[in-house]
Amino acid sequence: MPTDIGSILIQLFSGLSRAMMLFLVSSGLSLIFGVMNILNFAHATLWLLGGYLTYTLFQLFSNTFGDHALLIVPAIVIVTGIMFVLGWVLERVLIRRMYAREVPEQLLLTFALILIFGDLIKLIWGVQNRRIFLPIEPIAVFDSYVNPYFFVIIAAGFGVAGGLWWFLHRTRYGKIVRAAVYSRDMVSALGIRIPTIYAGVFALGIAIAAFSAGVFLPIMPIGLGLDMDLIIQCFAVVVIGGFGSILGTFVASIIVGIVYAFSIFIWPGGALAIIFLILVAVLIWRPWGLFGTEMRY
Amino acid sequence: MSSYKNDYQWSQIVETLNKTISRRDFIITSVAAGVMTMVPRFVTAGAAEPYRIGVCLPTTGSGANYSERPIKGLPLIAAEINKRGGLLGKHPIELYFRDTQTKPDVGAREARSLILNEKVQTIIGTWSSAVAMAIQEITHEHKVLHLAATSNSSKIVNENYTPYSFQFGPNSRMQSGATVVAVLNMIKSKGWKSYVTLGLDYEWGRDAQKVFVDKLTKESPETKLIKVFWAKLGETDFTSYITAIMALKPDFMFGAIAGKDNETFVQQAKASGLFKRIAYPGVFLPVTELMQQRKTLPRHIIGLNRCPFFAHMDNPIMQKYVKMYQDKFGKDDYPDDFACMYFDALNGLDQGVTKAGSTDSDAVRKALTGATIDTCRGKLTFRDCNNQLDAASYVGEVVDTPDYPFPIFDPKSMVAVQGHEVWVPTCEEVRKLQKKRI
Repeated sequence: MPTDIGSILIQLFSGLSRAMMLFLVSSGLSLIFGVMNILNFAHATLWLLGGYLTYTLFQLFSNTFGDHALLIVPAIVIVTGIMFVLGWVLERVLIRRMYAREVPEQLLLTFALILIFGDLIKLIWGVQNRRIFLPIEPIAVFDSYVNPYFFVIIAAGFGVAGGLWWFLHRTRYGKIVRAAVYSRDMVSALGIRIPTIYAGVFALGIAIAAFSAGVFLPIMPIGLGLDMDLIIQCFAVVVIGGFGSILGTFVASIIVGIVYAFSIFIWPGGALAIIFLILVAVLIWRPWGLFGTEMRY
Repeated sequence: MSSYKNDYQWSQIVETLNKTISRRDFIITSVAAGVMTMVPRFVTAGAAEPYRIGVCLPTTGSGANYSERPIKGLPLIAAEINKRGGLLGKHPIELYFRDTQTKPDVGAREARSLILNEKVQTIIGTWSSAVAMAIQEITHEHKVLHLAATSNSSKIVNENYTPYSFQFGPNSRMQSGATVVAVLNMIKSKGWKSYVTLGLDYEWGRDAQKVFVDKLTKESPETKLIKVFWAKLGETDFTSYITAIMALKPDFMFGAIAGKDNETFVQQAKASGLFKRIAYPGVFLPVTELMQQRKTLPRHIIGLNRCPFFAHMDNPIMQKYVKMYQDKFGKDDYPDDFACMYFDALNGLDQGVTKAGSTDSDAVRKALTGATIDTCRGKLTFRDCNNQLDAASYVGEVVDTPDYPFPIFDPKSMVAVQGHEVWVPTCEEVRKLQKKRI
């Protein structure tokens, strides 16, 4: 394993970038479970749908206004809004019927959504990978090169983490959401409409996923099947961090991302296995996760 | 219905493909093609028995990117043969498309279904050697011909050999051998001393990496392999691998990466500055990639492909393929390596049946074994001990050209490493590798 500071720092950036990718997708999953007790197996498929929509909108903008890299920003913003609305509708039409059901039934419903949205994607966009090509040029750092887009992803991850913390701890609506986690009945008794809270949280989770898909597009292609790959890693992150804990999800993402990046140095073939070994260890010694609460477990 | 004629029906299939393929999922079109090919059974009562061919290709998963053009083009070749009545002038070809999803179990299931339910006599396909080898077991069991048009693990014709399988492209051993030939030249000219490998962790990737390392170690033992990296098939984030490779500072890297993964790797490596520091000779760049990545592909890297149309535009068969394809799908589209090898497979079958004078699978395989066939790459011969076509691998520098709207390999410096230069040297050695089958 290389020991020079430059190589270690660049690998660290790479690991942090991967960590923030995982956090951006997992945070919505964790938020939805934490507040609503819904295991949304279709979360990554909705993430994928957000990515395809961003791709299409960016192409549309590029064809209309010419090739400008910054056109990705309005594309991401608009799609985040669209997916917020879609999330709201899904919660009102389907998810709300699942609150009183057992987890296996929730999984069946959300798995059905995976198939439906997967086929929809196939019909509209076909089976080829899609990505947005931006003229990203490497920058020289520590006698080597680094992909500058790492820093965009890291900034987006920290931004969403900070934003979620601010929302949950510093806004009235956020405080209501946190209260609803512990006692829906009490919040309801105060005259606050729980269904609206739930719809909003579900929509927010999906919107964050869509936002992250747009952010990833210039560095990572999206394609059918990626959602299934991603959801497994997201579940690993959420279990390690503790279901429902945004802080836990953030810390677990960093652990997973950095451990993965440095495992590539030491044991490239076993990098993913090491992550799942951590998951197994957490499940044995602290089943509620690093930052979860025993009560919820 | 009664007005249908075989060639007309084929042109209808192609029309359907042509109208829909540009925007919509080509799964639908392949299913449509499969359904339409069944029509002749009901409208040509009294005609000779049709010759049914199963086409197993992934329309999902890593290999989907390379299936589009073979699916679009195969009906054109079949229609061409059917214009003269089909095989032997009396067995019109019917194609049955199936999606393998790039999964061995699905491929095997579809192959068995094609043989038992559709009564196909030949299966062409597929992408992914792991899937092809699963199909190979089924075709061997049922004594059905298997034309491995593009899947190219050397095991298909060596360790897993069956007399019913024929390989139409350079296999992984030959392809890696060709890369070694190119790399040896560069080791001499550039003074390279160390390298790393990054391969996709599945049948083909493992096979290609092993052959490359073994051969290079034999030819240039002083060139040191620093580290071996394996990434999973379908990897979308190579950044940790890229930064790790850059940290090791090798002189060059060998990649056994294909499909969508290859495009992802090249783009992420470019953005991370890998190509500024480390040479990457022999990156697999079929025409598909040259077209799709025309704006972003780094120029002057040394690529490898298996059946580039631009290397054989002096060959009338290749000219015909390109013209036929472009007449249907527009001047901006070209048949890629995969399409050309599938076209050769179907035309090769036609030649085998003609030589055998029969459509019986045993007669056809005997006729093709050791036979020389006309292909878009010239006259090529099947090796009689393992049914491997003596196909070249093409190594060249990626450059822009005014002739095409995408980069190609520099015609001035491109090297075609012939199959027999790099395959397992003797048939005696090949037979030692081949397992005994019942």
